[in-house]
Amino acid sequence: MGIGFAVGVLGVLLLAHAAYSTIQYRGLLKITEEEFSGPPINVVVELLLGLVFSMWAALTVPGKFLSIHPDSEENRIVSLPANLDFMIFNHRGKAVLSGVNMKLKH
Amino acid sequence: MAGNNGSGASEKKSSESLTDLPIFSAENTQSNLKVIYYSRTFMSIIGGVISGILGFTGLYGFIFYFVIMAITSVGLVAKAKFSIHSYFDGWNRIMLDGITGGLMSFVLFWTYPFLPLTCFSSA
Repeated sequence: MGIGFAVGVLGVLLLAHAAYSTIQYRGLLKITEEEFSGPPINVVVELLLGLVFSMWAALTVPGKFLSIHPDSEENRIVSLPANLDFMIFNHRGKAVLSGVNMKLKH
Repeated sequence: MAGNNGSGASEKKSSESLTDLPIFSAENTQSNLKVIYYSRTFMSIIGGVISGILGFTGLYGFIFYFVIMAITSVGLVAKAKFSIHSYFDGWNRIMLDGITGGLMSFVLFWTYPFLPLTCFSSA
């Protein structure tokens, strides 16, 4: 999340720098009275880098996809109770229950 | 949100019970759609800025927008680890949702910040 956001900020800064370079390039073209056919190659490379970084940010920052099936791994509730350490099975109820089982068998 | 995945007739034939209808988790569906919406909006803004800097005019800009949206769709599918049906109720959700909405932001960022750059420098 944090890294994705930082990458996105970096991409936007790259795009801003590319825009500034293009403005300067167009000013130069105006002085030399040439037609604008496309930005110089280093600006194109900068734009591509900015696009890749922003794409990375756009895909990571908004959050993860959550499974929509109610019986999938993440949505199933299989958590054990928190008081496992306090559960005691070695108590006198054991004798009572074994007696019940014997009665049921006979 | 309960929906059937397009095979309602065969499902009814196989079993009459209501429990066989796939039931989707509503909150997670909404959350996934929101993630897609955010991604597409941000990518349309970025695409608008880039096509403005590259100086696209007319039809080329719109073609560029649809190329960007196609790349974003592929990225979203990769983000869903190529198992669409465990996160969405159909391919249309991940491929088409939000494209027309992003078009407006795209056109705004395509033309507006670079208006001085294209108009006044050529005049």
